[in-house]
Amino acid sequence: MLRSLRSKLLAWYALVLVAVLATFAALAVWTVWQSGLRDLDARLTATASLLARAITLDSAGQYEVNLTGPGLAAFTVGDDGPYYAVWTSAGKLIDRSDPDIDATTLGAPQIRSRRGNREVIVAGDHGALVLVGSSLAQLRSDLWRTVLRFAMAGGVALVLSLGGGWFLVGRALAPIARIGETAEAMSVSNLGLRVDITRTEDELGTVATSLNRAFDRLQEAFERQTRFTADASHELRTPLALLMAEIEWTLARPRANGEYRSSLGICMKAAQRMRGVVEGLLTFARADAGAIELRREPVNLAHLVEEVASGLGSIASERGVIICVEGVPALVNGDPSRLRELISNLVLNAVQYSPSGGTVTCAISTPGPALRLEVSDTGPGVDAQDLPHIFERFYRANKARSRDSGGAGLGLAISKWIAESHGGHIRCDSRKGQGARFTVELPALDAIANGASGVTEERVQAS
Amino acid sequence: MRVLVVEDEPDLAATLRKTLAESGFSVDVAADGEEALWQAEAIAYDVIVLDLMIPIVDGWEVVRRIRARGNRSPVLVLTARDTTTDKVRALDSGADDYLTKPFTLDELLARIRALIRRAAGSPAPVIRLGEVEIETSARRVTRSGAEVDLAPKEYALLEFLALHRGALVTRSMLYEHIYDDRDDSMSNLAEVYVSSVRRKLGHGLIRTCRGVGYIIDA
Repeated sequence: MLRSLRSKLLAWYALVLVAVLATFAALAVWTVWQSGLRDLDARLTATASLLARAITLDSAGQYEVNLTGPGLAAFTVGDDGPYYAVWTSAGKLIDRSDPDIDATTLGAPQIRSRRGNREVIVAGDHGALVLVGSSLAQLRSDLWRTVLRFAMAGGVALVLSLGGGWFLVGRALAPIARIGETAEAMSVSNLGLRVDITRTEDELGTVATSLNRAFDRLQEAFERQTRFTADASHELRTPLALLMAEIEWTLARPRANGEYRSSLGICMKAAQRMRGVVEGLLTFARADAGAIELRREPVNLAHLVEEVASGLGSIASERGVIICVEGVPALVNGDPSRLRELISNLVLNAVQYSPSGGTVTCAISTPGPALRLEVSDTGPGVDAQDLPHIFERFYRANKARSRDSGGAGLGLAISKWIAESHGGHIRCDSRKGQGARFTVELPALDAIANGASGVTEERVQAS
Repeated sequence: MRVLVVEDEPDLAATLRKTLAESGFSVDVAADGEEALWQAEAIAYDVIVLDLMIPIVDGWEVVRRIRARGNRSPVLVLTARDTTTDKVRALDSGADDYLTKPFTLDELLARIRALIRRAAGSPAPVIRLGEVEIETSARRVTRSGAEVDLAPKEYALLEFLALHRGALVTRSMLYEHIYDDRDDSMSNLAEVYVSSVRRKLGHGLIRTCRGVGYIIDA
């Protein structure tokens, strides 16, 4: 993949380079040819002009060409050197340097290329026409030499550039290889690996940084999952250990009736706690998979709160805690059993954290379009450091206390899910030593405007 | 033998307490790390059974701190945390053994006995003192092959002296290791147990160092 990218880049580079070199060479060769031709033309024209003036006409009407003048001695026969021919304007041949030259050669005064020769025809003295020509072979061979030189130089340049290009592309791609190696080496056991950014060039540095951030997020998610699994296993193992130890102790030898009873009571408690954890885990598993069907029907929150408060009345009075319910009838569109679970979690929590003689207040109000339920207690409150985490699964603010109450640390996480799946939210305000206040806000259902809406069901995804 | 159980789960702590007590251990319970540190400072426990996830000071830190103070009590970590990292961390902090929840009581007791033997420098499960043999796993004592019936406290006293044979065991050491904070002990009870052990196993076995304590000669 990388190799092919390198080759591809280099192939494109070579193609462009060859095109540029070829264009340049073609232009240069054309220029050389043109300038050679111009020089030749100038020489031929000069010679032709000399020749034109070297023609004499005697009294007998005979033309004479005097080749003794300067610049005219060079005419040779049968060679590549310049040749000449002189005609009368009537087309009669006067003189020629080569017997092969015949009348067909003649034309009007001009400069032309003909049969591999360059020829200049000019009008001479006494109405004669003068042709001076020269083979283009010399010019051609000069040109070929130039082409050859260009080709050689171009070839060398191409090889050097490609070599350099190969090296540079390789160097530029090396960080990609490193990134690839790092990604390849990452596994569950060493999620901490990161791409070395200091050694990476700018653009790739950006890529590496983005990748590293993605790795960070992955690692975090993975660690969260691992922690969750460890917490879940811890919450299940603890009551299981109790169950097994208690049963083993009971069975070790015959026990008194009272001992059996108390053992079974302890086992029951442990089993109930395990049930709580398992049910919580199941709720989350199904919520995460989006497999929980939420009923939607008008629910009077005030009724639910009163129901929950009276249901928890005996636990509260056992602990010497008073539950106060105040507020207005308030309708929401929701799942009554889930909403009851939410309220029950909050109120039970408040009761368990309240000292004897404390008060738990459940207040319902309707500020604006939302409907607000506040559950406050007179307990020890929540530490500022715990506050951002208390809605996390299995998070325990104060282990000793919540262990006492038998909770697994899932209640608030479930409450948050219920509030959010109803389009609302939940928050906690607390200061150490001054109690805690949990506030749930849910969209209110305007019963009078909507009439009694039918029961609908809806799938919700956990946050 | 005196054991400190550090466990924040009250029901499990209670079960461990009654189990260990039935096996002849004197048991103290601490519900959090701070209490555990305080208790371990006050008493030289023969074994500390330690949960890791405990309030205030966690179990790893408890081991680290008691080892830093030079406490040599064997520490058995009993926890629901079962990853290799947790085990390595606990053992490297100074713990001696690691058992994950859920566990069987038999295994827990066997491990505690092994830790006590190793700490006393006599890893063999049977201690021979002349014609007397003490089988620590079954808490059985024989004299010339015949089984001798000892009361739990008598056995505890004999085992403690036997594990420390050749060394002087003071009365206060005896009280510390064969009673727990629930026993209403009276200082002269040690003499009562010593004399009844002597009556059952022979008078030459335990030597009295007057006014100081007792010794079983090596």
